[in-house]
Amino acid sequence: MPIRKDIKKVVILGSGPIVIGQACEFDYSGTQACKSLMGLGLEVILVNSNPATIMTDPEVATRVYVEPLKVPYLDKILEKEKPDAIIPTLGGQTALNLALELFDQGVLKKHNVQLLGADPKVIRAGEDREIFRGLLDQIGAKYPRSEMVRTFEAGLEAGDQLGFPLILRPNYTLGGGGGGIAFSKEEFRIKLAQALHESPTSEVLVEESILGWKEFELEVMRDRAGTFVVICSIENFDPCGVHTGDSITVAPQQTLSDKEYQDMRDEARKIIEAVGVETGGANIQFAVHPETGERLVIEMNPRVSRSSALASKATGFPIAKIAAQLALGFTLDEIQNDITKTTPACFEPALDYVVTKIPRFAFEKFPGTQDILNTQMKSVGEAMGIGRTLKESFHKAILSLEGAAEGFREVKFDQSKLSYPNSQRIFYIIQAFRDGVSLEEIHSLTQIHPWFLEQLEQIVDMEKSISAWKKLEKEPLLKAKRHGFSDAAISKLTGIDEIAVRQERKSFGLTPGYFRVDTCAGEFASETPYFYSTYWTEPDPKGLQVKESDHGKPVIALIGSGPNRIGQGIEFDYSCVRSVREFQRQGYFVAMLNSNPETVSTDYDTSNALFFEPVTEESIANVLEFTKAQSFVAQLGGQTPINLAAPLVDQGFSLMGSTLEAIDRAEDRGQFSEICKELGVKMPQAGMASNISEALKLAQNLGYPIMCRPSYVLGGRHMEIVESDGELEHYFESHAATISEKRPCLMDQFLERALEVDVDLACGPDWAVVGGIIEHIEAAGVHSGDSMGVVPPQRLKEETALKIEAVSVQLAKKLGILGFLNLQLAIKDDEVYVLEANPRSSRSVPFIAKSTKVPLVDLGVRGMLGLKSSEVKPEQYDWKKVSGVSVKGVVFPFKKYPESDSILGPEMRSTGEAMGRGADYGEALLKAFVTSHMRLPQNGKVFLSLRDKDKDMLLPLVKELQALDFSLVATTGTAKYLEDSGISCDVVKKVHQGNPNCVDLIRSGEVALVINTTSGRESIEASFGIRRSCVDYSIPCLTESDAAEAFLLALKNQKTSQVSVSSL
Amino acid sequence: MNTKLGFVVLESGECFPGQWHGGPSKAGELVFNTSHSGYEEMATDPSYYSQILITTASQQGNYGEKDEDKESEQIWIHGFVCLELQNSKRDHAWREKLLQSQVPIVTEVDTRSLTLELREKGTTWGALVEAQNKSEAIELAKSLIAEEKRKDLDWAHRVSTKEVVSLQGENPQGPKVCVIDFGCKKNIIRELRSRCSEVILVPSRFEEQQVRDLDPQGILLSNGPGNPEDVQVAAESLRGLLGWRPVFGICMGHQILGRALGAKTFKLKYGHRGANHPIKDDLLSQIYMTSQNHGYAVEEQSLPKNVKVTHRNLNDGTVAGIEAQDQKAFSVQFHPESHPGPHDSVALFDYFVKQIQ
Repeated sequence: MPIRKDIKKVVILGSGPIVIGQACEFDYSGTQACKSLMGLGLEVILVNSNPATIMTDPEVATRVYVEPLKVPYLDKILEKEKPDAIIPTLGGQTALNLALELFDQGVLKKHNVQLLGADPKVIRAGEDREIFRGLLDQIGAKYPRSEMVRTFEAGLEAGDQLGFPLILRPNYTLGGGGGGIAFSKEEFRIKLAQALHESPTSEVLVEESILGWKEFELEVMRDRAGTFVVICSIENFDPCGVHTGDSITVAPQQTLSDKEYQDMRDEARKIIEAVGVETGGANIQFAVHPETGERLVIEMNPRVSRSSALASKATGFPIAKIAAQLALGFTLDEIQNDITKTTPACFEPALDYVVTKIPRFAFEKFPGTQDILNTQMKSVGEAMGIGRTLKESFHKAILSLEGAAEGFREVKFDQSKLSYPNSQRIFYIIQAFRDGVSLEEIHSLTQIHPWFLEQLEQIVDMEKSISAWKKLEKEPLLKAKRHGFSDAAISKLTGIDEIAVRQERKSFGLTPGYFRVDTCAGEFASETPYFYSTYWTEPDPKGLQVKESDHGKPVIALIGSGPNRIGQGIEFDYSCVRSVREFQRQGYFVAMLNSNPETVSTDYDTSNALFFEPVTEESIANVLEFTKAQSFVAQLGGQTPINLAAPLVDQGFSLMGSTLEAIDRAEDRGQFSEICKELGVKMPQAGMASNISEALKLAQNLGYPIMCRPSYVLGGRHMEIVESDGELEHYFESHAATISEKRPCLMDQFLERALEVDVDLACGPDWAVVGGIIEHIEAAGVHSGDSMGVVPPQRLKEETALKIEAVSVQLAKKLGILGFLNLQLAIKDDEVYVLEANPRSSRSVPFIAKSTKVPLVDLGVRGMLGLKSSEVKPEQYDWKKVSGVSVKGVVFPFKKYPESDSILGPEMRSTGEAMGRGADYGEALLKAFVTSHMRLPQNGKVFLSLRDKDKDMLLPLVKELQALDFSLVATTGTAKYLEDSGISCDVVKKVHQGNPNCVDLIRSGEVALVINTTSGRESIEASFGIRRSCVDYSIPCLTESDAAEAFLLALKNQKTSQVSVSSL
Repeated sequence: MNTKLGFVVLESGECFPGQWHGGPSKAGELVFNTSHSGYEEMATDPSYYSQILITTASQQGNYGEKDEDKESEQIWIHGFVCLELQNSKRDHAWREKLLQSQVPIVTEVDTRSLTLELREKGTTWGALVEAQNKSEAIELAKSLIAEEKRKDLDWAHRVSTKEVVSLQGENPQGPKVCVIDFGCKKNIIRELRSRCSEVILVPSRFEEQQVRDLDPQGILLSNGPGNPEDVQVAAESLRGLLGWRPVFGICMGHQILGRALGAKTFKLKYGHRGANHPIKDDLLSQIYMTSQNHGYAVEEQSLPKNVKVTHRNLNDGTVAGIEAQDQKAFSVQFHPESHPGPHDSVALFDYFVKQIQ
């Protein structure tokens, strides 16, 4: 069946800002789909509010709308574009839910638009557990005993019947949001209330626990002729009880016999037929009893998913791309297998290697939250390792986490860390083996399948024998490398210097070989340049065609950013991917190196050659040697590659763009402040202290408030603003581990209430282009990644903006930047202070590029390559020509971390960003809030609790709220202030004043908006409950006066303006 | 810990070193299979007679050894090669089983490079040998290969039942079916028994009249090892039976039907061995994934006019099934009985029974 003739124009929905459970895997799938449909000659209209994505790059689709993924906006877009169809299966649960709303509200019908890939019936079957279970009954598939409850009382009753432990699964939430495991009745009552609240339909499935069962996932596809294929089987290392996104997973499955596997496959087929998935990808999760082999169905998603991205990277089969083509009417046999180019896409990939995925967590950023894993996903990223054996691939995945170059770091044995799944459990399991705990005991504590444990035990056995080596010998060393041990690990175990290990290894001729990921285990010839390294072959495999001598183009190696984490995410992938095209235009062959399976950069289609490898010195050096690369690029993948630049240059490799010295000038505080001094640029007064007595002395000179941070950190780790000696002492006590003589604490004078801006530049040898200035909405003190921002600046005076540009260009020149420079500046009383310089592409680059239309990444590449002003013609790029206003919104994962505080501060904790574009500031703000999942109330009660210094400033705002029909309620002090200012206001108790207090009020659901500004450690702790209850009940809570003002502007805009949309 | 050196030696003299686990050095045809699971089914499938099995999936033996996974009562392969083999205190059943059955094992072999080599060369003779070094290995392999090649080439006859075996079916209303055994997998029998009243297994060299004497309602030609040209008697016997009763051929049985209809068979450059081969089925109007294990195929041009190509391998377009409608005979090159592999094409057994009724 060929392509449908009735479809010429399609809308692809993205997934919005990155949140836990819905991350850049949907950028990968959407980008892939866009490319493929554009290739088929269709008009593709892309809608996504996330500016950090590659898919929102204007080159990816026919037209790109960076607009909120909400019905009114889609209504406008459909009206304007008049597309034939929408494909809702590529943008995660967000896109599916939106499609369902568009259908239910008659918007699709109104514009005569059809849904492709999944219709409302299918979406409901996948998401509504009751319907799904009805279908399972029809085909005779089993599932855990459970009950769907709609009230608290019904829930309690169901709990009594099913017995504990119990799993709670709210309907229609993503990443298992609001769900969890309850081990006791008390725990159950708390979680039930929350889960009912979380589900948009107030439905919660209360389910019998299958803790300890083996867990599997099948990634399947179907076309409209009914052909069915399994793309990948995935087995979870962590048994049932841990969300699959938080589990270590392995592909292909390892512990099922063929019969067990094929029976599961049969059932998967029946399920997607029963659900009615006509075309596309789906994933189905199963639990299998470890002894009896009994099989239960856990859930299914009728769309591409995080796992399908992983499966695509694990097998080389581009699920999203094929899904898009199937939606357009093709059948699997009509589509060619991209990898082999000779066989059809209608087959099941065969793997001759093992893939391990390990999630990356961020518990350290959310103090107070217990590091325990359950059915609610908490990880913020993942790394994947490909190796010929589980041991090799497991080790690679561990190295990709960037915890330590030596891999499995040592921890202190702790039995509870085995029994309760947690983010660090794998290290405790390894430690248990080291400490002689038996496999049987570890199995009984963890329920992890003994086959997996045996592999780990073999790694530890190898570790023990390495420790006994007196010197390096070829055969044992080869064996160790085949077990995945890094040179750093071998060095640590033997005490032999790492450089010596590397040199000896090479002298034995031991370097890895590279194999192709070819979808067919070598059965057919394949040319696709997707590689992984292994020590299970000769170092010189034939015919990989990656060296300059093979294709005549100079090779450069582009270093990616590894697993996503808070502070280093998809924004850097945007820079990497976008740069590839420019490097290619400039005549280069680009070898991409990265370990993150979710990204576009690890699509084999993106670069000239993809090396799926840990982002470590050793792996990069091997790839550089293997490809005979001319140089490597460290400026695009964030801080990780920058940190690796120095050791690689020491090994003799050539770094592209800014030299190591230039990087140091920017990153070394001492050198940088010298340069600022020379240029007459102000910096906040600062100093360093390696212990508390030095710190107290320094504080006297600087004066409070002071910003404290350890040296060399990313994303503001451990940064705090301290306001008194007492707080300073507390800071030093709680960060003792990160502060030392070698790594002193940096203490900066904190510019209170200063306006902060981000500036990104691209620089060449004789030119510099300012990409734009982002004015932060929150005042100084909130991490730049967590603060909202606006382009062009709204409060900055024009002459100050010009001054900022001049200072930035001066600094870039003086530092000797070739490529990218990001500057963070603060403006106080019209004085410009430089806070920080990052000699690389930054988090704000994609936002700036999309706001101002300056092709910042392309320019950075030209700068790195040393192109002259006469070639680049920098004068043609003027960010100030931009029309309209763009606001950056941010989203936070506080909901997933039940004990965490949502107050904003110098440590970054947001997972993603969104963009609101409007004709004016108010409209852009409104869109930015809406698309960051803020509920903007129309009316209702506003609860106020303000610190003294904000009161006068916020008075006009409070008056306006009242004028907008909001009623006010405040804590005693604030209420008194308001009364004195002539504003009537109800009073509510503070938490320590007894019940009912403000938190009770918020939890009762009566409050529509909270403004809670506070500072100082004690008051922050005291007001925790206010913020937490807002997070739990999804009530907007503003903790900064500037943010509150912005929110008011958005509220006003909501009341007065029309919905309007425009493409980039 | 056993650290003896073992080698996979190709007839051309190429050598892939690895670790030797035991068993006698042995020669055979070197074949790879890309299935992720199903090592026991493969090794006990008589179609693998005299073949050295190289699994491309790198870790084998992970789930031990189970009675229900056996496709016959013995292990037929002449050797087992993989990257890593399960061998722990807890579970080493599969390794033990192979060694007890005198099947040599070599592990820690660069099986991917070996597979690429075999893919380019086509299926070739080779040997698994225990040796001190490469030259010794090549010497030993040479003589083993020569010896193995001298043996009777009618492999089907060697693995076939020697006597007539009658098995009661589970469906009293179903037909009585005769299976000509070229090396029949247990699961073919299971699938038939669940649909038939009686299943009679007969030797590969059964004559036409002997079959007629049993008076079955349908005839199934089983899978089996080797070159169809070397299978004696069967094609001639079958020629006389065509049109008398419905016939269903599987794998070797398909090739025998082709030959009986007057077509030629030839050796494929790239054999098909795996559980992921797409087939377009015009009989059932479906496309599905199949389990395959064959080195020979029916030549399309040589098929008589009245024979339709009903199944095609979508990877290389080769004939994967034929039907001679007027003679009520059809056959497929793949394994509808699976084991190992997807169960997608099991409906062909129903089609066969429908032909009879």
